[in-house]
Amino acid sequence: MFRKRSLVILMFALSLALMIPVAAQDDVELTLSIGARGFGDAAPVLIEACEEEAGGISVEWERISDVPNESRSIYVTNFTARNPKPDIIAVDVIWPGDFAARGWIAPLEDYIAEDDLADYLPGFLAAAQVGGSTYAIPLYIDGIHLFYRADLLDKYGLDVPTTWEELITAAETVVEGEANPDLAGFVSMWAKIEGLFMNWLAFFQGAGGAFFDADGNLNINTEAGVKSLSTMVGMLESGVAPESVLTFRPNDARVLFQQERAVFLMVQDFVWAELTSDESPVKDGVALTRVPYFEGNEDTNTTVIGGFLLAVNANSENPDVAADFIKCFTSYESQVQAALIQGKVPTRPAVYDDERVVEGDPGIAALGANFVYAFARPSAQTGTSYPEISEIMQTEVSAALLGEKSPEQALADAEAQILALMP
Amino acid sequence: MKHANRAGIYFLVPAVLIIAFVLLFPIIQTVILSFGRNSTSIFTGYEYAGLANYQRLLKTPRFITSLNNTIFFTAVTVPIELALGIALALILNRRFQGKGLVRMAVLFPWALPTALNALMWRWMFNTEFGLFNSMLTDTGLAVERVNWLGAIPTSMYAMMFVSIWKTSSFMALLLLAGLQTIPDDLYEAGSVDGTNRLTEFRFITLPLLRPATLVSVLLRTMDAMRTFELPFNLTDGGPLTSTETLSLYAYRAIFQYVNFNLGSSAILIQFIIIMSISVMYIVIIRRGDM
Amino acid sequence: MIIGRRNTAGEKVERDRLSFSGAKQASAGFYILAAITVVVSFFPTVWIFLTSIKTEADIYAWPVQYLPDPVTLENYLNIFKETPELLLYILNSFIVATTTTAVILACGGLAAYSLGRLTWRGRNLVLILILAVSMFPPLALLPSLFSMFLELRLINTYPGLVIGHTGLYIPIAIWILTNFFKSVPSEIEDAARVDGASTLRIFWSIILPLSVPGLISTGLIVFIFSWNEFPLSLVIMSDNFMRTAPVGISLFPGEYSFPWEIITAATMLTILPILIISGVFQDRLIGGLTAGSGK
Repeated sequence: MFRKRSLVILMFALSLALMIPVAAQDDVELTLSIGARGFGDAAPVLIEACEEEAGGISVEWERISDVPNESRSIYVTNFTARNPKPDIIAVDVIWPGDFAARGWIAPLEDYIAEDDLADYLPGFLAAAQVGGSTYAIPLYIDGIHLFYRADLLDKYGLDVPTTWEELITAAETVVEGEANPDLAGFVSMWAKIEGLFMNWLAFFQGAGGAFFDADGNLNINTEAGVKSLSTMVGMLESGVAPESVLTFRPNDARVLFQQERAVFLMVQDFVWAELTSDESPVKDGVALTRVPYFEGNEDTNTTVIGGFLLAVNANSENPDVAADFIKCFTSYESQVQAALIQGKVPTRPAVYDDERVVEGDPGIAALGANFVYAFARPSAQTGTSYPEISEIMQTEVSAALLGEKSPEQALADAEAQILALMP
Repeated sequence: MKHANRAGIYFLVPAVLIIAFVLLFPIIQTVILSFGRNSTSIFTGYEYAGLANYQRLLKTPRFITSLNNTIFFTAVTVPIELALGIALALILNRRFQGKGLVRMAVLFPWALPTALNALMWRWMFNTEFGLFNSMLTDTGLAVERVNWLGAIPTSMYAMMFVSIWKTSSFMALLLLAGLQTIPDDLYEAGSVDGTNRLTEFRFITLPLLRPATLVSVLLRTMDAMRTFELPFNLTDGGPLTSTETLSLYAYRAIFQYVNFNLGSSAILIQFIIIMSISVMYIVIIRRGDM
Repeated sequence: MIIGRRNTAGEKVERDRLSFSGAKQASAGFYILAAITVVVSFFPTVWIFLTSIKTEADIYAWPVQYLPDPVTLENYLNIFKETPELLLYILNSFIVATTTTAVILACGGLAAYSLGRLTWRGRNLVLILILAVSMFPPLALLPSLFSMFLELRLINTYPGLVIGHTGLYIPIAIWILTNFFKSVPSEIEDAARVDGASTLRIFWSIILPLSVPGLISTGLIVFIFSWNEFPLSLVIMSDNFMRTAPVGISLFPGEYSFPWEIITAATMLTILPILIISGVFQDRLIGGLTAGSGK
């Protein structure tokens, strides 16, 4: 009896001890919320540098998930509860429109001068501009590029494709010639994820389409829309793209390509470092170019961009200090460091030509060249509806790819749903 | 033990306080939110919208699909889990060499974290590098790789398979408890009468197992109707919405579209369905007893 | 002492059954069934283990390389080098799960005793209400819980998650324990009551000792539930150093990448305690569940 009683008491004592909350510090503190590995080793270096520059602040790095949807749900719970922390958050390029419309992130014009903004890629900055205010500052950019096996194209005397028509022919030629059942022509991220919407947008713009026309009207159920979607469906049907591409997220496609099992790969630039690393079987054969367009549309922008910006929590207790910190964190010098340490592609075009960057990571200049053709997803225009619109597009494009609907039907259905959503 | 006991109510206080705090209050908030519009809190900026969210949901094909998926998933997995659970419980109820290993084998799938388990299976179902496709093509059972998680309806079947694999053992554990409460003298009486094992199972084991069956099926049905982590980590609800469950739909409404009101209504409909199934089930069993 | 006594009783029951079912010698077919059970249960884990000790290139080889060659511990070492927090995740899980279990057994045990053995009007209604509330999809609690916990400064604290988990799993503990207490014979209790013992005293010195196996099995179930809980832990513990193991691992994938070599190794480390528990405590778990049959 005694032993059991003391055990129970011990357990309660233990649980009580654990229940004493960790004492809060009383220093002025900022919390920076950014992915654990996304910004990786560059984060502590830049935090330290910017702490030193500002003086008298201490910044805590809250290492959130690198999976955008998961970090987004953490933000959603924090912001709906009006939590003043984290003070500074890294936002995906498609979030500022939504977050600003909800009043979750603060406009920055009181803290950051108009002139300073001119140094950032305007196409990227636009994604954070709502109603004339800027809500976030670009941190790093990524975008979709076409990676290809230069060695295989050489072997069959093929030019680097610039159009989809050329790409499909080239893929078929190589796959036929290699006669390897495990070799795929084209792989990308066609699972029902945000990346699929990006993919279709790249095809769509390459066919001369635009999500909204000049008057701001939805413009997807068009000739360009049908052409882009039919081409994707056709690539699946003809076997240029393997069936499993419908489960692929970007890295699944990267792995297949890196294992010498695909000729073309269309995903974001994060793959470049891995494809060219010493262990990579394709390190000597891989090269990259801009995303193709359809014949006769060479002027279209086909580089769909992604990437992250930094924003200030609207409920932060120190928005001015936070904004200054962001300025430092995204400065020219910081972006050089981020490029060299973590291979992050700068959002200030000037950095692409920086000698240290050109020498340290020549791939960055090559990637930077494709951002001439950059365009952002329609997130700033659609505000709080963007997540749902993207979901509708992912679902309808998937339906067409799975053969559940014709491309025409899928686009008509998407149009109807989006129009019902937007007043 | 027929006398009333006032102390009984005091004994309930700690548990009831915690339940009120963690479950009851949030539930009330969810109910109120489900009748609101553009509101994320019931205290600030709440706008009453009547039944608008419910009407919208019932007209949303995607919600109906997730409802159908959830019911289909539950209706298929729970009976199979029950059958396998009974078989496993019967195995465990006997004494034999190496029983410890088998017991561990039954406990382990149930004890695995669902989120990680889903990841493990996702790796094995992988179309290009997965174990299953490799085994199929190596043994010549299939020529082409099967697109397990990327095609309709294999994705749903894969999800059901994982669920059955994991939770049959939960059934077995609850049923085993019931099995071992069956007094031995009943079997002894049976063996004196010369019954064979099948009739023994049919006329002694099964009827006496009924209370344990009720509990385990009820718990599993409730759980299956709320399935969230499995599609979340295994299929992400895809392809299309073919494996999207009600919970996943509600999660997306709340955390992705930040529509707390619509999501709350979806959860409430789910809750009402779970309640009705449970009540129906209990009533049917009770009636059967009479 | 008490635990030992119950066990002896449990074994006695089994021996009795064995003697009666002597005719039912385990046949070859039975062993095949048992073997299939073992293989089916363990092969995913075995496969994940084999994957975790392959080199990155071998993991993505096609045709699949079934056995690792060469065997490498690099994936594990990388976890310790790159994300030593993983050990912390497991410790966090352990702290939360043990405390949750203790709180649930204390509060839930009292409640279940009241519902299962004491007679007062409306107790069935209360039991049904508790169960009904627990049927509510846990996802819906998150936004509301988060804002309450934020006000109370419970976010990123052990007590916060312990309270959350206690709320989630106390109904099922009450349900199991209520059924369990009902099965304890009432003669001893009645005798004690005639002797004038108070309700609390009866609970403490008669019911509790008789119920140790039931408490253990309930405790194990609750422990495992808490160890595995996902959505609430994800939202309440957003700080990297406070995360629990399942959440910590699920956050391993990056924005684009899904590094199976790290994920498989991390998964192995996290399920190791579960493997040990289901191996070491299986007698407690199953013995506790069957104790109701001891007379």
